[in-house]
Amino acid sequence: MSAENMEYLTVALPKGKVFNKAAALFEKIGYTANGLSDKSRKLIITNEEKKIRFIITKTADVPVYVEYGAADIGVIGKDVLLESAKDVYELLDLKIAKCHLMMAVPQKFKRPQLSDYANTRVATKFPHIAAAFFNSKGMQMEYIKLHGSIELGPIVGLSESIVDIVETGTTLRENELEEYAFIADATARLIANRASFKIKFARISKLTEDLRKIVNKK
Amino acid sequence: MCRDKNFLLEVPYGMRDFLPRDAAIKRNVETVLAELFAKWGYNEVITPAVEYLDTLAAGSKNNMEKHMFKFFDKNNRTLALRNEMTTSIARLVSSRMRLDNLPLKLSYICKVYRYEQAQTGRQCEFYQAGVELMGNSDPSGDAEVIALAIKSMLQTGLRKFQVCIGQVQFINGLMQKWNLTDNEQKNIRIALEKHDLVKLAEIVETSNLSSTAQENLKQLPLLHGGEEILTKASAMANNDESIKAINDLRTVYTFLKSYGVTDYVVFDLGVIRDFGYYTGTVFEIYVPGMGSPLCGGGRYDNLLENFGKHLPATGFALGLERLMLALADQGKIDNLINSKENYVAYADGHIAEAIEKALWLRAAGEITELADKAQSFTEAEYYCQTKGYLNLVYLQ
Repeated sequence: MSAENMEYLTVALPKGKVFNKAAALFEKIGYTANGLSDKSRKLIITNEEKKIRFIITKTADVPVYVEYGAADIGVIGKDVLLESAKDVYELLDLKIAKCHLMMAVPQKFKRPQLSDYANTRVATKFPHIAAAFFNSKGMQMEYIKLHGSIELGPIVGLSESIVDIVETGTTLRENELEEYAFIADATARLIANRASFKIKFARISKLTEDLRKIVNKK
Repeated sequence: MCRDKNFLLEVPYGMRDFLPRDAAIKRNVETVLAELFAKWGYNEVITPAVEYLDTLAAGSKNNMEKHMFKFFDKNNRTLALRNEMTTSIARLVSSRMRLDNLPLKLSYICKVYRYEQAQTGRQCEFYQAGVELMGNSDPSGDAEVIALAIKSMLQTGLRKFQVCIGQVQFINGLMQKWNLTDNEQKNIRIALEKHDLVKLAEIVETSNLSSTAQENLKQLPLLHGGEEILTKASAMANNDESIKAINDLRTVYTFLKSYGVTDYVVFDLGVIRDFGYYTGTVFEIYVPGMGSPLCGGGRYDNLLENFGKHLPATGFALGLERLMLALADQGKIDNLINSKENYVAYADGHIAEAIEKALWLRAAGEITELADKAQSFTEAEYYCQTKGYLNLVYLQ
């Protein structure tokens, strides 16, 4: 917190595959900064003229920065947003980084119906989303939280299934897994801190409308 | 029994200690607020921290029950620590004060408890100061409560803040008029409460609404600004309920002008506090750089009915720890720290004079510490300095 906070608009962007697409969108509406790259060693990149600060963080941390108001707005995948269940405003579907959340199982041991997987183990990066999905189907499961390479779970006998995001399905196929149940679509979203949205309303709503025009044109 | 010393030194999750400096600031903020509330004719009430769960649940907002600290009494009835004060005051007003003259103007400054993720300026145990105005259904009541909330900020020294005022009935009115199904209305309310504009657009676009209605509904959370917003909203208002909502806001604004506080006020019809609880004008106060509102409140005309006494009511609660953080951030904390005035020390054999001197200084209203044993002048000087006293009084 500081007084200069009022002057600047702070944008949190996630490292990784969403970064370039999000940065490109912001650039189109005139929001960019010298040296804005997720390879940058600088953690804060400022555009003094436009009074914008970009902070580049690990994906899962974006909603945290925004919820606490350390960043006014941010870009984050709906999957991460759902999982984090943070109290942030969701302003716009940026329609980039399209993917979906699903449950996948090994092709070889595929069971006839979903309920046949009741009380088995699920490996996932998204235990909350997975639990909400299986609960809605009346199923009790055992969740194993992993942080990456979820596909490995069933191969080495850690779990009977996985819940993960897929874009093209190549990784699933390479690891002889098959999508079994669809859970939800996910794209990157523009989110805002609830207090920032009120206090910096004019800037944030203008930015949202500018982005909306670009997104809808595509 | 083997005891791990580190374990003994821990406090439970979500609990905090206030060290002398913070405790002094907190006490001073509380004093300022208590005096202000009293001056506006609001009488303090004190209720127990522990209530029956049934009581708290009857007055509580959606989903609060899972965030309550619960336990059992000896008859196995479920008890809970109060998660806010309004329900306890509603219980009080509906029982012990039911015959009192209306309206009732009550205030409180106390601890409340919520078992949830600790946030900025909010642990599981935290302090709230607030007022309730019960038995007044007029916009004059809404205006008084909002003006008092603003004065509370100003009186403690806060200068940079913004009050956003909304109206729950405006949205309810619009939705009634548009003949949305109950399910659609529910989903729209959830999307509005969570401020999920993506979901809102999705629901609206798949509904059977006219394109004007769709556009209006999507614009709702963006109705933010000065008085001109009310004109915009008036153009959208299309039935008695929503027109009354906007007219009420206009009246509130006129009164706020008389209170001289409109500099801090904007209208925001997207300020949505819990639909199941609030029934009219609602508001929140934000400060730059803090992710959550500092203060929130509004009209809740249906709550007291749950306790058998139908009374319209409005009020606000502000988070003391958040207010303290905001004051520190805006450089307004110095006035709230007691300046330590005198350190009275003495040479061997002069304790009686020292006690007399200390009593005299204290009677004159100065903060005065007395040395606990005879000291040399050098020792006394060292103590005086390290303890941060302005003056050394040395008796020899």
